[in-house]
Amino acid sequence: MKVIPAVTCPVCGTFCDDIEIVLDNNNQIIEARNACAMGAAKFLNYSTHRTKTPLIRKNGELVETTIDEAIEKAAKILVDANYPLLYGWSNTSCEANRVGVELAEEVGGVIDNTSTVCHGPSILGVQAAGISSATLGQMRHRADLIIYWASNPWDAHPRHPERYTMFSDGRFQKSSWTNYLSKLRGEMSKKKIQRASNLVLKKDFCFAPCQEEGLPYSMYTKKRRTIVVDVRKTRTADAADCFLQVEPGKDYELLQALRVLVNDGELDVDEVAGIPVETLEDLTDVMIGCKLGILFFGLGLTMTKGKHRNIDAAISLTRDLNNRTKFLIMPMRGHYNVTGADIVSAWSTGYPFAVDLSNGYPRYNPGETSAVDILCRDEADAVFVIASDPVAHFPRAASKNIAKHPLIAIDPEVTPTTMLADVILPPTFVGIETEGTAYRMDHVPLPLKKVVEPPEGFLSDKEILQRILQKVRELRKRDMN
Amino acid sequence: MTELIVKNGFVYDPLNRINGEKMDISIRDGKIVESVKDKADVVDASGMVVMPGGVDIHSHIAGGEVDTARLLRPEDHVKDVEVKTALTRSGVGYSIPSTFTTGYRYSRMGYTAAMNPSMAPLQARHTHEELSDTPMIDKAAYPLLGDWWFSLEHIRDGLIEENAAHIAWMLKATRGYAIKIVNPGGLEAWGFGRNVHSLDDPVPNFGITPREIIRGLCKVNTLLNLPHTIHLHTNNLGQPGNYVTALESMKCVEDLAREDRPVLHITHIQFCAFKGEDWGNLSSGAEEISNYVNNHSHVTLDMGQVVFSDTTTMTADGPFQYGLYHLTGNKWVNHDVETETSGGIVPFRYKRSSAVHATQWSIALEIALLIKDPWKILMTTDHPNGGPFTSYPKIMAWLISRGAREKVLKKINKRARKKSLLPSIDRELSLYELAIVTRAGQAKALGLKQKGHLGVGADADIAVYNINPERDDPAKKFVTARNAFTSAAYTIKSGQIVVKDGEIVKPVFGKTYWVDVKTSMPQDINDDIKRKFREYWTVEYENYPIREGFLHAPAPITVKAEV
Amino acid sequence: MIILTPKRVFKFPIEGKNITPDIFAKKSLKKIIDLEVWEGNRKRSLGELFDIKNESSPSEEFTIKIEGDVSKVRNIGFRMSMGQIIVDGDAGMHLGEEMSGGAITVSGNAGSWAGSQMKEGTIEIKGNAGDYIGAAYRGSTKGMNGGKVIIHGNAGHEVGCFMRNGLIKILGNVGIFAGIHMNNGTIFVQGTSQGRAGAQMINGKIILAGHSEDVMPTFTIDEIKAKVKVDGEKIEGPFYRFTGDLADKGKGKLFVSKPKNQYLSSYEKYLE
Repeated sequence: MKVIPAVTCPVCGTFCDDIEIVLDNNNQIIEARNACAMGAAKFLNYSTHRTKTPLIRKNGELVETTIDEAIEKAAKILVDANYPLLYGWSNTSCEANRVGVELAEEVGGVIDNTSTVCHGPSILGVQAAGISSATLGQMRHRADLIIYWASNPWDAHPRHPERYTMFSDGRFQKSSWTNYLSKLRGEMSKKKIQRASNLVLKKDFCFAPCQEEGLPYSMYTKKRRTIVVDVRKTRTADAADCFLQVEPGKDYELLQALRVLVNDGELDVDEVAGIPVETLEDLTDVMIGCKLGILFFGLGLTMTKGKHRNIDAAISLTRDLNNRTKFLIMPMRGHYNVTGADIVSAWSTGYPFAVDLSNGYPRYNPGETSAVDILCRDEADAVFVIASDPVAHFPRAASKNIAKHPLIAIDPEVTPTTMLADVILPPTFVGIETEGTAYRMDHVPLPLKKVVEPPEGFLSDKEILQRILQKVRELRKRDMN
Repeated sequence: MTELIVKNGFVYDPLNRINGEKMDISIRDGKIVESVKDKADVVDASGMVVMPGGVDIHSHIAGGEVDTARLLRPEDHVKDVEVKTALTRSGVGYSIPSTFTTGYRYSRMGYTAAMNPSMAPLQARHTHEELSDTPMIDKAAYPLLGDWWFSLEHIRDGLIEENAAHIAWMLKATRGYAIKIVNPGGLEAWGFGRNVHSLDDPVPNFGITPREIIRGLCKVNTLLNLPHTIHLHTNNLGQPGNYVTALESMKCVEDLAREDRPVLHITHIQFCAFKGEDWGNLSSGAEEISNYVNNHSHVTLDMGQVVFSDTTTMTADGPFQYGLYHLTGNKWVNHDVETETSGGIVPFRYKRSSAVHATQWSIALEIALLIKDPWKILMTTDHPNGGPFTSYPKIMAWLISRGAREKVLKKINKRARKKSLLPSIDRELSLYELAIVTRAGQAKALGLKQKGHLGVGADADIAVYNINPERDDPAKKFVTARNAFTSAAYTIKSGQIVVKDGEIVKPVFGKTYWVDVKTSMPQDINDDIKRKFREYWTVEYENYPIREGFLHAPAPITVKAEV
Repeated sequence: MIILTPKRVFKFPIEGKNITPDIFAKKSLKKIIDLEVWEGNRKRSLGELFDIKNESSPSEEFTIKIEGDVSKVRNIGFRMSMGQIIVDGDAGMHLGEEMSGGAITVSGNAGSWAGSQMKEGTIEIKGNAGDYIGAAYRGSTKGMNGGKVIIHGNAGHEVGCFMRNGLIKILGNVGIFAGIHMNNGTIFVQGTSQGRAGAQMINGKIILAGHSEDVMPTFTIDEIKAKVKVDGEKIEGPFYRFTGDLADKGKGKLFVSKPKNQYLSSYEKYLE
């Protein structure tokens, strides 16, 4: 048995790096300590349904083939294409992403990553308004006010609260959670004894759990406070100090209204987004009164009415708050390396996603050069998908058009995308079988580890891309002669 | 064995005291040698100037804040694109070029090395990944250590040797080259939205002053025998009246000077040389700064020249950048890094018509011309803060030609023109002096012994510029000079011709320098840091240091420390 | 007059930056046929994609006429400063982008970003248009700075985003965020607005003559105006006049039709 410490988890943007992988004597993973359910599921089951060989579609059927044949076919599809789309990128390493950009440039295509259907609007919001942010440790050390807005880490980023926010301890900000937990455990055992004695002595005894200490918005305790703003009461909201229910599709109005209040202005209306203005004034006082506040937000803002303008408004709100106190904001990135995909794209081409290289230089215009829009207009004549599953996630109008054209899929598993593909190349699992680098949601780069050997004959994403690139260059040289 | 000979050029090699002598430079296997055989390849440099390849001591070209700036400003890129060619990658330029474009553009100007001055240690991997994708030049990065909790605690407790050993660890963990200090104490204060306002303003929660931080790290630098001095971005940057802080910062380490060697480098001095109480009566503190530097030898400076254009400011000085947001109303990015540092980005436009900007334009040139010894004042724009590095040829023309300066003076804000010292300054740098401020002096200040000169044993990094000093007086023909510096006739990198007539003819990748400090008890430091790691950072100790094999072409410089 | 007729149906994006009077005017027919144009990632010549002929024109102005569906052709009229372009069909994205003079007319629809960053000149679209009419480029605050865009049909979202001057007139309906981040200029909408008009505006004038889904809560009511002047014409009201966006310390004026927006009567209590 072997224990490998400090393993980074290749699942979500929280990118925990304290996972301990336990291997049995056959070097199989048998335990993923500290991992949440999603992380454990990946480490324990990654290999269960993996595609075993490269596949090529012949006469409508997917048949096994060699790596060389699959690469040759993939390269040919890309070279012949007049406007290929290379999409995905978020579930693989930066090293692979770097080759990806080079490949997209060589074939004159569009390279876009999953930001385009996730936090792309956040990027657009940043491009309009900037962003006041920090690494997650700053929140752990200093934040006494945490707001999760349109984000439900309990489901999507399970260890986020315990590692960085509500349940964590920092240099300047202790959490009462640990105290609360030990108090609770103490009470639980008291309760047990009490219940036993009740049953024996038939006495009525009621223990109240940890009561609220004073008013909900008291500034006197050093407790970290958490507020959840959402359209429905989530489990994160249950664990928070305060839950504000916002009318669906009205976050933008709410954020703008808060900006007026933060700047000591007045509103002509009595309520915004279903929340009375008095409550908003209280919320404003809490935000201004904190020492350091952080607003985390999710797809509830990026993918609802207003999209990037919701983010524009949220960023502007936190920027306005900086006139009064220290306030930060951060998007809760989904895939573990979507941040890395944006970063690699930005340093290589200047733009973070939706980069059109078809005219020989990078061009960027989401709505015009973004994957979903290109597909809905049926402009791409070949699609290359890696480390992502667009057919499962894109609007039907887009997926329908993916199916119409040659499709190359680099994916270790069977997915709706691979089921439509003409060429499938299964890679190794980055972060389990292959090393690399990835970026946490707060832009901190960490190493992806190799904890087990990949099966014989499997190449990594990076190697597959390098081979395709090489083949593409050979084919183009041949075409020119 | 690849041999090359650069024949018959006018050679300017200040580190070897060669001033325009017509001579040949022989190269074998990437190094300069005494002589080569007759069948060596020839670069005919007749009628042209030959200098060591340019060295840039301070340029923000790679890493977290640079990339966030790229992401922030698609509108900066759209006006300046690089089309893919058979040899070169495509990209975008202007004030925050993409990495490939950065390398190509430096090389086209005859530059062969550039240093990234601001690396948040926690994000060091990012800087190095980007530098790996920056072709054509050698590079290095300076980790930000002035507000590192370990530094603040050690110095507060008087544990200088302890701190030195920890910083040695940090330099290795981040593959860093020098100790970078930005607004010492101010960045930690900014963690809660505050700042420090003088060298004796105590840092909240730590009880240490900026003066103590600068002195402490200066001592650390000496104990570690690092090739460069501490590299300081002063407190109160960009504040009217801050020339006082710059002077105090220089004075506060006077007694730590050793044998006339510099112990402090103040970067982008222009931004720290403001006189006046407010923006309304801003004037130049160049005289005071220059007088001090003329009479002391423990300090080197770099200019931070302003160019009139749209650009992007980015520094680790979080509070300063926030202040810039208030001044301009432009979009503002802030990025604080736990336990270590902060950072901010704000787009900025310098206008000729603005009295303040025009005064800023004048200040850096005044300092460069009033300081008598060119080894003490190096040319930079603090790219992109003062302007894009592609404006270097313009600035070189201003340094060597009064006429070039006058052309600009005519068009700037009247009030600034009246106050400017430039009309009364006749001095024009000679080509020899220009070689010092753009390469020899930079390499010397950095302690890069094989760079910035053309003596035997040096790296064969050479620039050949199409300007004939016998025929043309560069001061008069400054347009010719500027064009020559814009498109090098030849750039030679590690003995290979990589640029010809301003075009890339051979894409190459350079090395990344870092300092490998040998201390006496490294294991103790490892243990100390490991023990405190989870308390201080949100990552695991094992995942923090950069591992062997991560840098694609590392070039460690080994030094032995006194601890 | 140069007449361009597409030779086939275009499937891939066509980069038509060279299709402007400024570029055509100084060239012979042969040179025009050889002008560079991109089809996806293939570099082509204009003559490969279009039949091009030269005919006499009734107009004094240098005229380009495009007959057929050019909805995939982007940047028609890019940076033009004179002359006219007549599109008898649908035009693609970025129509008249950065133009500083001249006139473009489209008989059918136009794509998004029509009139983006324009400085002067006129664009008239008889059909519908997309999003971001007269807008700034992503990340920039410099939208349309002059000139006129008239859309007879409907327009999409974020019309006049970061607009600085000029006039956008939409006779049909608009989507959300008309006039977002507006710096100055005038937007007139005759039909309906899906809401959030004037969000984050600093200055300028927006007139909604039809029903609007909402008015931002960060706008405050000023008064009721009987009529509003737009482009020299007096539009009959009455209109509620709001000022905003207060969140951005804006002094923009938002005029909303009173009869078409009865739900706004609750604001009347703030008027003396």
